[in-house]
Amino acid sequence: MTPFKVKDCALLVRMSGLPPAINLRELRERLAACSENALFHHFCEPLLRPAFDHPDYRNDFAVWAKWYLADRVLAERLGILDPFSMGSLEEVRAVTLDIIDERLSEVAAIPSAAPGDEFYFLEATTIVFDTEDRIASARELAPAIRKMTNGSVYYHFLEARRRTPAGRDDFSAWLKAEEKKNAKYIRALDSIDFYFHTLSNLKEEIIAALEKVERKR
Amino acid sequence: MTVPLSAYEKIVGPTAITQLRRLGKKLGGIRVVHVNSTREGGGVAEILEWMIPLMREVGLDASWEVIQGTEEFFEVTKNIHNGLQGRPVDLSHKGWKIFQEVNEKNMDKLRPTLKDAEIVVVHDPQPAFLLALCDKRKGKWIWRGHIDISRPFRPVWKVLRTMLEKYDASIFSMCEFAQALPHIQFLVPPSIDPLSPKNRDLEPSELETVRARFGIDPDRPLLVQVSRFDRFKDPVGVIQAYRMVRKVVPVQLVLAGGSAADDPEGNAVLEDVMEAAGEDPDIHVLNLPPSAHLTINAIQRLADIILQKSTREGFGLTVTEGMWKGKPVIGGDTGGIRLQVVNHHTGFLVNTPEGAAHRIRYLLHHRERIREIGEEAREFVRENFLLSRHLREYLTLILAIRRGVDGRSFEV
Repeated sequence: MTPFKVKDCALLVRMSGLPPAINLRELRERLAACSENALFHHFCEPLLRPAFDHPDYRNDFAVWAKWYLADRVLAERLGILDPFSMGSLEEVRAVTLDIIDERLSEVAAIPSAAPGDEFYFLEATTIVFDTEDRIASARELAPAIRKMTNGSVYYHFLEARRRTPAGRDDFSAWLKAEEKKNAKYIRALDSIDFYFHTLSNLKEEIIAALEKVERKR
Repeated sequence: MTVPLSAYEKIVGPTAITQLRRLGKKLGGIRVVHVNSTREGGGVAEILEWMIPLMREVGLDASWEVIQGTEEFFEVTKNIHNGLQGRPVDLSHKGWKIFQEVNEKNMDKLRPTLKDAEIVVVHDPQPAFLLALCDKRKGKWIWRGHIDISRPFRPVWKVLRTMLEKYDASIFSMCEFAQALPHIQFLVPPSIDPLSPKNRDLEPSELETVRARFGIDPDRPLLVQVSRFDRFKDPVGVIQAYRMVRKVVPVQLVLAGGSAADDPEGNAVLEDVMEAAGEDPDIHVLNLPPSAHLTINAIQRLADIILQKSTREGFGLTVTEGMWKGKPVIGGDTGGIRLQVVNHHTGFLVNTPEGAAHRIRYLLHHRERIREIGEEAREFVRENFLLSRHLREYLTLILAIRRGVDGRSFEV
């Protein structure tokens, strides 16, 4: 197998150019019009921003609905969305708009945030760095991941699913070069329910899954 | 004193430092000039003090220019500053003329440096007019707004906007601070230098020297707010909160303020603070010179609780400093303080002196929470608000501007 190249990444965040949304109707309008980059940022990249380990929800729309629109019903419906399980960002957009339309049809008054608590649509560029660390075999994967930054875990395990045509994480895609020999490792990685973990939890979960395979060898 | 990049490895890890060196290499000797209006005092000067040497160490040809102004000019720019933060101010045509003339005078001196620079970063409004005066410029110009201009006084913003829209990009600390401009707007929170005199670890003897110098009682809890004497920092509100707590707990308060060369309003606010403090021997109002970094460091470390009860705030680097020293912070629910202070994790956000008093009493009655929150606050700063992250974002931003920021990702 060719050695696995460990990369790391950072976000360079910028304004999307859309005006901020002050209420649910404006949020819907902006969501319908925003770029896929903005959708990706608010659904998939919150993990790379300053936050504590146990936020209520994984995407920015659900968090805003809870804290600033004070609409817990909407927050719960948006909070369960898993963008990585959907085929494309356009599907993510369609499902999200559907949830918001349904909520708009249920409420008597349009949920609104206070001035100063608007939702800002952002985008980010991911800057990828080669760490120059290399992994030679499946057995080295767990100890190597232990040394990785959260940025590396994000890039190889989550972002890869959007980046690569096969929609797989980079680790199992690499292990597939010797699929038969590495089948147990690949299965272990495939079995992780990753979206609702924080990056540090996810890292531990990946290591635990790989170490379990090692112990059974 | 310049600290080498390698010294930060033990704080942020070798990977982060290697990343910076690699990014610097990609930029290979690019000429970057930062321009602001004061060499010392205030958060901007503190950031530039470490950023320039570190940019140079990773291979950039970085320099720092400071525009020179008259007393009149700084009165005008203070008004601009206040106006941008939302206060109605009376800024006459004559005032804007003074603003432009001082920029013109500075441009005469700075033209050769700025014209040839590949990247020029202009900090805050004071030097913002320089771009309009720099014909035949070669590089990209970026305006870096450090203050909260989310709800500016419109007449001031409308004039400044005409100057800013000519820039190639701008940088704000938070999305809430940004205004619509016809160019790309990056979001980069500032940071602190953990090895600077203001933030480095201190010996117990150094702490005791400062404690003795200001007559602080070691046996009673100490509340500290460090910030310029500026009405937006609400030092009088802090005194009100202290008095509410003082009725039930024998606390002491330090209000340590510096003044910056570009802030002529500081003395008037200081007088108001002295009047509010009255003859209370447990309120220590310290007007410290901009160079008193070690003293500020020691005062923050002596504190049980750090306050930053601002009503408007850019980012609030004193909050970051307090958190880095392992202290819970009770901060105003505004601006960049919101990004740093998370209720029950790193401190508490408050909106009134009453709210501050309530949270102070809570913490003083749950001393173990002071320690727990303080530890969490320090780790939060380590992850997010140290200079390594800040420098990385500047380097990546320069790379992105040079290559065009259209894609979702690129590899360096």
